[in-house]
Amino acid sequence: MIAEERATGPGRDLFEPARIKRSAWLWVAGASVVLAAMPFVLRLDGRAHGDWLQFLGRFHPTLLHLPIGLIVLVPVLEVAGKKRPALREAAEFVLHVALALALPTFALGYMLAYGTGDTGTTVSRHMWGAVVLCIGLMLCIVVRPTWAARQQGFGYPALLSAVLLALVWTGHHGGSITHGSDYLTHYMPRPLRVLIPGSGSRDAAGDSFYALHVHPVLDGKCVSCHGSGSAKAGLRLDSYDDLMRGGKDGAVVVAGKPERSMLLTRVTLQPGDPHFMPAEGRTPLTSDEVSSIRAWIRAGATATRTSVPGVKIAEDPVEPPPKPVGDYSSLVPEIQQMQHGLGAKLVPLSAKASDGLILRTVDVSSSFGDAQLAQFQKFAPYIVEAELGRTGVTDASLDTLKTFTHLRALHLEGTAVTGSNLSKLSSLSQLTYVNLSGTKVTSQSVAPLRRMSQLRHLYLFNTPAEAVETTARSNQ
Amino acid sequence: MKQHPLCTDCERELDVTNLPIPTGLKREWSAMETRRQFLGRSGKVLGWAALASLFGEAALRGRAVGADAKSPVTSPGRNNLGLPHFAPKAKRAIYLFMSGGPPQVDLLDYKPNLASQYDKDIPDSVRGNQQLTGMTSGQSRFPIAPSHWGFKQYGQTGTWVSELLPYTAKMVDDLTIVKSTNTDAINHEPAIMFMNTGNMNPGKPCLGSWLAYGLGSMNDNLPTFIVLQTKTNPKENNQPVSSRLWSSGFLSSEYAGVGLRSGGDPVLYLADPDGIDREVRRRMLDAVEEINRQTQAEVGDPETNARIAQYEMAFRMQASVPELTDLSKEPQSTWDLYGPEAKQPGSFAYNCLLARRMAERGVRFTQIYKRGWDVHGDVVGVLPTLCAETDRASYALVTDLKRRGLLDDTLVVWAGEFGRTVYSQGGLSKENYGRDHHPRCFTTWMVGGGVRPGLTYGETDDYSYNVVKDPVHVRNFNATILACLGIDHNRLTYDYQGLDQRLTGPQPAYVIQGLLA
Repeated sequence: MIAEERATGPGRDLFEPARIKRSAWLWVAGASVVLAAMPFVLRLDGRAHGDWLQFLGRFHPTLLHLPIGLIVLVPVLEVAGKKRPALREAAEFVLHVALALALPTFALGYMLAYGTGDTGTTVSRHMWGAVVLCIGLMLCIVVRPTWAARQQGFGYPALLSAVLLALVWTGHHGGSITHGSDYLTHYMPRPLRVLIPGSGSRDAAGDSFYALHVHPVLDGKCVSCHGSGSAKAGLRLDSYDDLMRGGKDGAVVVAGKPERSMLLTRVTLQPGDPHFMPAEGRTPLTSDEVSSIRAWIRAGATATRTSVPGVKIAEDPVEPPPKPVGDYSSLVPEIQQMQHGLGAKLVPLSAKASDGLILRTVDVSSSFGDAQLAQFQKFAPYIVEAELGRTGVTDASLDTLKTFTHLRALHLEGTAVTGSNLSKLSSLSQLTYVNLSGTKVTSQSVAPLRRMSQLRHLYLFNTPAEAVETTARSNQ
Repeated sequence: MKQHPLCTDCERELDVTNLPIPTGLKREWSAMETRRQFLGRSGKVLGWAALASLFGEAALRGRAVGADAKSPVTSPGRNNLGLPHFAPKAKRAIYLFMSGGPPQVDLLDYKPNLASQYDKDIPDSVRGNQQLTGMTSGQSRFPIAPSHWGFKQYGQTGTWVSELLPYTAKMVDDLTIVKSTNTDAINHEPAIMFMNTGNMNPGKPCLGSWLAYGLGSMNDNLPTFIVLQTKTNPKENNQPVSSRLWSSGFLSSEYAGVGLRSGGDPVLYLADPDGIDREVRRRMLDAVEEINRQTQAEVGDPETNARIAQYEMAFRMQASVPELTDLSKEPQSTWDLYGPEAKQPGSFAYNCLLARRMAERGVRFTQIYKRGWDVHGDVVGVLPTLCAETDRASYALVTDLKRRGLLDDTLVVWAGEFGRTVYSQGGLSKENYGRDHHPRCFTTWMVGGGVRPGLTYGETDDYSYNVVKDPVHVRNFNATILACLGIDHNRLTYDYQGLDQRLTGPQPAYVIQGLLA
């Protein structure tokens, strides 16, 4: 509070340019000393102080954008003022208002840090950046009248540029405190990432379970308060060693004992609980994230283990968008004719024609065989799903099916297919679902399908292939 | 020309087609002409309406031909509905309806802090100005009845499940549990109507009818929408369910649900009488069809075509229904999964098994009703029975669909019409308690095509009394089900009584995006 009173003093005086010359330098020097001395008088000692400080301090993020906007406006006015002198006069005024707002913002920010007991490199960088910024602003105000009168000299422009640089630096670290240090770079495309020295995973490299499923969660949701910038409760979660070291309340991970690991208990409390993490309304962990951490702790919480028993990692939920099929409107009469003749139908998947057609045979399944399927070859590129379950098709049908280039789902359950030539399907790049339940396929014959990376849903219920797998699993 | 007493315009003759009324209503009147004929006939022949609903795509084709020939204005056919609106995740749905209102506090909505509040009154601030049913509004106290059963966490998701549901517990990682479902009605009939048809008053089409109307049949040999009722257990408090719940309302009755009987013949009078074989039947139908075609040529009534189609459907069902209900070829793994009750026709397990067989055979929508969840008293005595009847079978159905590759494009929904109160109805003792109706929150789940697995959506307060996060109103619940099937609930409409009617009603409804995969 002291800082604020002293500091706004010169701000008000400075509105009168005539008296600047004489007393201004003294004011600026005095205010600068007060600002610079502040962190040494009221040290940020990592302990929380007083509700009032925190209450007021939390207005820091609401206020700070106003002086930022005004400071950025100053050079704009100065440049535009070359053509329209009125804008130059406005620049003088804006500069004063910016300072008048920057000082209370600084005071509130200090209250926030002091009140919550926030420490760490990011916080102190943010604070010193703000000190430099405020002093720079005051100097700008002092030197500007001379520059404006003579229309020359590089002192003021240089000073203003320095202020802008200090603004960027301070603002960036402020943002890092709120959003986390990797907020800007988190979704940076890989090619750009090499430009940033020291970026990328610190010790979370490789394909360990920790690196793939634990570190990213902590990195995304915890390290803004428990990281290199700010380590609340003495806890850092930005590396495996720090995580296992714990905080001032002791270890947060007890290997093998998820229920005794504070890391887990704090994130699974009721969200309204005062001890719930992440605190202050930040995004909570999802149930998937919690379950991976729980399983990881249960399995021993190691940094190197690549698989955790009992954990099925959810498949990538985003299936590749289906490729649109071409325009088949000219074939519609033929399609209808075909349906009347064969009884099998070609049904649009949706109202959007480019979503393709479903080949539906359920009404005529007993009489539908390889010969009938071959008649649909004409419509091959438009068929995205072939429902051939319980029909009479055999292995020979694969020769037709391999021409269904947009096929995404293939139902062959309950057919006489033996799987001897399933490799013919491997050219179908869109195929994500194959159902061979109740056929005679073996684990050798479905091997070509297993090599198709996009084929996520392969069903082998009630087949010799499934029986082999079940035995293999029980042997493990 | 005789002046009509209400006519103010003497220049023009007044009849029903040029009354000064909105054109939409006029169109509807014209459309109703055919339906009026249809309903007039259906009143004369008992069971006609039920049979009418048996037909699928083929009958519709027959009807459309007649419509073209004779009456230019008919109800919108499926061809111009433009459905599904977008690529669906689920092609079909199975709805496990727990009629009576399952007590969420004893099943899936775990409230650990209640144990310490045994027999304390529920705070007024929680209950608010809630209107109660006549069954508990006279109570002087509303003592909290903590669940009699223990809860444990299951699966990777760590979902809390009551010990009454050991099988459901095994599949929590696949389920999408909605703890914040809420409804407007507090008594069974309006609530169950609301849940099934989107309106508390009878007369609106149910979810299955909307699907049959909007998406049509996948299989010409079986009905599009089938209803299976579970045999009642006399120990339970069975609220009635009626065919209003699977009625097609103002939609043509061809879209109504077809009930398969739980005992004896699944469909009455479907089997050929003694001495008549299939060949004789075929020749008889061919002859009747010939006569019907002559009638159609003379009179031009579209219903004649519908009649022809229904005979054909019934003929095909003579083969398809016995095949559907013949469980003798089911492998042993089926019985291991569903349990021995699945062999008794009419049990919930049997119905679940039938539902899987219907899903395989292209039935669009199957609704299974299980009555008896209305536990006003003796929760401790009855609830274990209810759970034993349904828990394993529900798990078996989901697991069976999953291992056979059907769950990818089948949506399974488990829901009742409302929840039950946390406070006891009647006497509360350490051994027993009762629970009254509670519309403000209840727990439902979905699984399969379109919904996000392993998700618990919405939260209730510490008393499972009010929703505190992410409420899911019945309208939104239904909108979300339609979205899984590729339908924009705002665009599946039917012009009736001057309103573009829809399942979610005229009030705004939203798809709960958080539930979708």
